[in-house]
Amino acid sequence: MSDLDRAIEQLRACRLIPESQVRELCYKARELLIEEGNVVSVDAPVTICGDIHGQFHDLMELFRVGGDVPDTNYLFMGDFVDRGFYSLESFLLLLCLKVRYPDRITLIRGNHESRQITTVYGFYDECIRKYGSANVWRYCCEVFDYLALGAIVLGASSELEPTSSTVNDTAQSNLAIADSELETEVLDSRGHVTMSTYRPRQRSSSDASTDSRNISPPRDISAAPGQVAAPSRSGAPGTGASSDGNGSAVTSRTGAVLCVHGGLSPLIDSVDKIRLIDRKQEVPHEGAMCDLLWSDPDEIEGWGLSPRGAGFLFGGDIVKQFNHLNGLSLVARAHQLVMEGYKEMFDGGIVTVWSAPNYCYRCGNVAAILELGEDASGGGTVARSNGEFGRSNGISGDNRVVSPGRRYRVFEAAAQDTRGMPAKKPVADYFL
Amino acid sequence: MTTCASVSPEAKKPNTITINGFRISTQKLPILKADPIEEMTQKLGIAPPEMIFGDNYVAIEHEKGDWGIQFNAFDALDKVDKTGQSMLQVAYSREWQKSREKTHEGIKEVVKPFDWSYSTDYKGTLHPNARPFETSTKAIPMELLKRPDPILFFDEVVLYEDELADNGITMLSCKIRVMPGRLLLLTRFFMRLDHVLIRLRDTRIYVEFETKEVIREYLSKECEYETIREKLASTRDDVPAFMRDANRLSEILPVVEKRTERLVLGE
Repeated sequence: MSDLDRAIEQLRACRLIPESQVRELCYKARELLIEEGNVVSVDAPVTICGDIHGQFHDLMELFRVGGDVPDTNYLFMGDFVDRGFYSLESFLLLLCLKVRYPDRITLIRGNHESRQITTVYGFYDECIRKYGSANVWRYCCEVFDYLALGAIVLGASSELEPTSSTVNDTAQSNLAIADSELETEVLDSRGHVTMSTYRPRQRSSSDASTDSRNISPPRDISAAPGQVAAPSRSGAPGTGASSDGNGSAVTSRTGAVLCVHGGLSPLIDSVDKIRLIDRKQEVPHEGAMCDLLWSDPDEIEGWGLSPRGAGFLFGGDIVKQFNHLNGLSLVARAHQLVMEGYKEMFDGGIVTVWSAPNYCYRCGNVAAILELGEDASGGGTVARSNGEFGRSNGISGDNRVVSPGRRYRVFEAAAQDTRGMPAKKPVADYFL
Repeated sequence: MTTCASVSPEAKKPNTITINGFRISTQKLPILKADPIEEMTQKLGIAPPEMIFGDNYVAIEHEKGDWGIQFNAFDALDKVDKTGQSMLQVAYSREWQKSREKTHEGIKEVVKPFDWSYSTDYKGTLHPNARPFETSTKAIPMELLKRPDPILFFDEVVLYEDELADNGITMLSCKIRVMPGRLLLLTRFFMRLDHVLIRLRDTRIYVEFETKEVIREYLSKECEYETIREKLASTRDDVPAFMRDANRLSEILPVVEKRTERLVLGE
């Protein structure tokens, strides 16, 4: 077993690794991250996660629900640290996994991955408390400066294969499947479907019968870890690809998905402009880099200024236009607490994913992760929608971009007793 | 879109105690879901804080039904300035806006201006039958409250909280303790806008069971952030920790407004 594997094992048990090992880990991570572009390309299937905020035990719950690295391909959209009690354990574990399995986990930067913010919201104090000096905080901050600003998910499938959690559900979905396809599905932490939405089938009838563009059926996570079967695709792999070969037969494609921590920027009208940013620095208070990590969608038209006097808000028309110009079907972002764990806005053009259940150990919210399946048809998705501005697609008239099938796994906070937290009941005190 | 079936908060009954003709109850539930937030936004006319505990409350009622006071998030937020007249700006606002002047002349409109610090002078919602308080000079008898009488009922209830987009904190929360002879309820609004302002507004409700005397004291304190920081710089205190501690800040913040009111039930 390598030192790295040992470190992973130790961190999984919520035990810290020695300072010298942190230094080495951060050095290796930086070497790896420096090679990544500002916008990392990630192939589906991928599981997209939002804010973690040092809630280590809930991160373990996330891995239980979503599958372990490297079995599951993960994309974390930042805010690993601050607020929670275990920012160090959480971030160092994610970093170890990144160094150990660089192609199976992508980390992008959140607004909390910054020197200034971490000194106020807990991570700095935690480093001092647990390591006795600011050294580890400094190593981590140097890694923060190298984290990518965004990611583009390519090759996601437009359709989900329904999860058959009960007999009834199966019957229903079979009925529905005749002229529509499963677009979104919400599962609880035991893998049971709690909601599904369908949309009319978009593709021509001739190739509908050989459809294999579906997400793998979900793993049975209620089974013991050892019994979990590897995800298997229904139908022989490649059957769809053979009938759907060059992609030009498809009348609609799944657009790429842009993942950023906060949102869009008025300085950025194409994904390529994100690539031009000099990111290797502390998060600035202004400019495109700041916006990508800080801005929020809102029910407005166009761009607006936040009443706080700094920061942008953007409306549905902005998202629609940005997605259209860049061949995107969806912007996935984190940054804002949502009680349901995820929130789609603007006709599904943008989604907020939030992965810190019972945020700050008192909000009582659930968390979610978003799974995008792999388009097994070998269709034209990858070639197009690479964020190239104004590029015509060269294929027949209808170039409608279809949003990917989206499976949300919703989960609750890890059981109280596993985290050694003080009991929830407030302690009576003689306040005045 | 419909929302998923998530953690159904266990059908939790409010915590209650009835003592000497007074019924004290508290309720603590998770933050509101999307639909109730939407509804609240419509009714209030402003977006509620990020962490909105809209179902939480603390209530004191006289059993005869002639008097009662309740603290809840909606009524507190209804007292927040919705016009933007008393709007604060984050510390780096000027720097931020200056950098934007050239590039985004088109974007000038501030979206739905309002007091996003959610500052409120809420002193509780009185029961519809309740007689109004009368201005008084009689202070809450702190000596009686310092006695280590047994605490029969205690709770701490957050009504709302917001991180001010990582520019500090704003929070409205209640603490209540009930002793055999009296009770004290403290509803505290605490707001720290980093490098700008610190604001504390305490409402204390004191009830003496035997005499049925109720005293309400409202105490507003605030100070510029830098002034406090300079004051602390000369001490040995851990400044960041101090800045997070409303109790300790309370000791050094100057008083802006103090108001005492009194009422004797059944008089």
